[in-house]
Amino acid sequence: MDTQDLIRSARFRKEREADWQKLETLVRKAEGRGLQHMEFAETRDLASLYRQATTSLAIAREISLDKALLGYLEALTARAYLCVYAPQERLGGLLGRFLREGAPRAIRRSWFYILLGFLCMGLGALTGYLLYFENNDWFYVMMPSELAGGRGPDATTTSLRSILYDTDQASGLGAFATYLFSHNTRIAIFVFGLGVFACAPAILLTFYNGLSLGAFLALHYDRGLGLDLVGWLSIHGVTEISAICIACGGGLQLGTAVLFPGNRSRSVALREAGHDAVKLAIVAAIMLVGAALLEGFARQLVQDRDARLFIGWGIGALWLSWFLLGGRSRR
Amino acid sequence: MRVRFWKRAKTDKPSPSTLVPPEGVPLTLPIAGIGVRFASQLTDIVLTVIAAVCLVILLGIMDLTSPQTLMALAALLFFLIRVPYYVMSELAWNGQTIGKRLMKIKVVSHDGGPLTARALVLRNMMKEAEVFLPGTLLLTLDSATPLASLAAFSWVTMALMIPLFNRYRRRLGDMMAGTHVIHLPVPVLLKDLASETVAAGTDRKKFVFLSHQLDHYGAFELQTLESLLRAQNAPSGADAARQRNATLEAIVEKIRKKIGYAAPVPPVDRLPFLQAFYNAQREHLEQRQLFGDKRENKHYAQSGEER
Repeated sequence: MDTQDLIRSARFRKEREADWQKLETLVRKAEGRGLQHMEFAETRDLASLYRQATTSLAIAREISLDKALLGYLEALTARAYLCVYAPQERLGGLLGRFLREGAPRAIRRSWFYILLGFLCMGLGALTGYLLYFENNDWFYVMMPSELAGGRGPDATTTSLRSILYDTDQASGLGAFATYLFSHNTRIAIFVFGLGVFACAPAILLTFYNGLSLGAFLALHYDRGLGLDLVGWLSIHGVTEISAICIACGGGLQLGTAVLFPGNRSRSVALREAGHDAVKLAIVAAIMLVGAALLEGFARQLVQDRDARLFIGWGIGALWLSWFLLGGRSRR
Repeated sequence: MRVRFWKRAKTDKPSPSTLVPPEGVPLTLPIAGIGVRFASQLTDIVLTVIAAVCLVILLGIMDLTSPQTLMALAALLFFLIRVPYYVMSELAWNGQTIGKRLMKIKVVSHDGGPLTARALVLRNMMKEAEVFLPGTLLLTLDSATPLASLAAFSWVTMALMIPLFNRYRRRLGDMMAGTHVIHLPVPVLLKDLASETVAAGTDRKKFVFLSHQLDHYGAFELQTLESLLRAQNAPSGADAARQRNATLEAIVEKIRKKIGYAAPVPPVDRLPFLQAFYNAQREHLEQRQLFGDKRENKHYAQSGEER
């Protein structure tokens, strides 16, 4: 058949059709097996044929009125684009980079917000502590009943002590799961999520958490069990309370972006603050899992007060050294 | 200065389906709607729940769990399965989970750049924060803590409502990761009508159209005719064939009248006439387009005057 008989756009198509079909098979291959498993020559062809196809599409839009051709080229180029610009990084590398560099750096960048989180918690604890000594009934106001577990100003000292050194509490996998979804994780989730609403809920919740902590501490101090409780709390609490404060820091960061976006629009500010805040949330999640592990296993296995203190604060020091030393570039 | 009570709607916004890749040629990738995304999400949830339930049963058989902690353990397993599932499947299948593959939708980078692993991890982590964790919370809370339940409920509701209020149907995680979800286009190469008729050996001189006869129609009419001609090849029953013949006759008569084509077209020649007219019209319009005279439809002359 004489190609001169054809109209211009039909000739255009005839000259390039073979390349398009080759691209189509390559795209199918890439979608089926993944770019990593293709041969070098194939990936090279894929990239160059994709660029040819975009050019063809641009030209076809100008010179051709063949709807079928335009639709085909459009779909083909789009599929090829999705293949060529597929994510190249492996999950392992991403995770390693996050743990080595991303997380500690994000923590160090947002030290101010995390400090605010600790401040909220600390002030809450102080207030709770002082209020308890003013009037014991404050304990019932500030402590959620399901968390107190029968402990209160009315309980005897021996019963308080027996809970702190209780050997037949649930232990193992089930306890781990229960603790993970217990009170503190909920607080951490709320503190982070509610930070978006102009900081206030995050600050209030952290403060409230501090209140119950302070009242709890005061109750035991009153009965001469202060250090025993610190030991009982420390073994997982150092990790857990730090996690809540870090989550609070992330929430505050989001909240400040909403409150004071500066010259940016609020959504842009939120997105930029989100980079670090999400990292803080992931770190908090990792720490909460760690805390649940400690609470589910270690607290029942270790009954000695000093050993509990040592493990709790030792692990706290490990977290701190990760945040402070991780991801520093050597010069 | 006048106070504006609401922002005036911008009219020159690009269509949400347009994505500009680094090569600079805009592509049309239609945005996936709420329904199809919900369906794919549901598929994924069902899959991961089945996996979690199987594991819980396995643990139960091996006597590693007690009835008191069963729910918490199930929630934990569900969490431990779904987090890596979403991230790894979207990384391995280039922005698609099994549910998305079934529904033929896919995650793309919002600005047309490459899809990064970071964006995929972020958008799936945010899915936890948006829906799953507050949802789990909502299920585990009881009536003793109405405030927390209400907070969790309103948070989930808000997160689910957000996609309704933006043109790209992005949820919070999409916004933070800079992605949106599209329908995967399917490339189907149909035959070129213009070269088909030449190949069939139709006598080109049989129908001759003069250039003033081709000035009546624009691209829209041409492409409608193209769809009609493509549909002619489909097999059909006697009834449908009669109806099709009647349609063809009506169209041929209409075109003849419009362009002033004097010679009558016998019934046998109706299809070749339309094919020849399609070829001539397309050649003419494409030529005009090359000279900068783009004719959208048959009203091109009036719209040109208005500008």
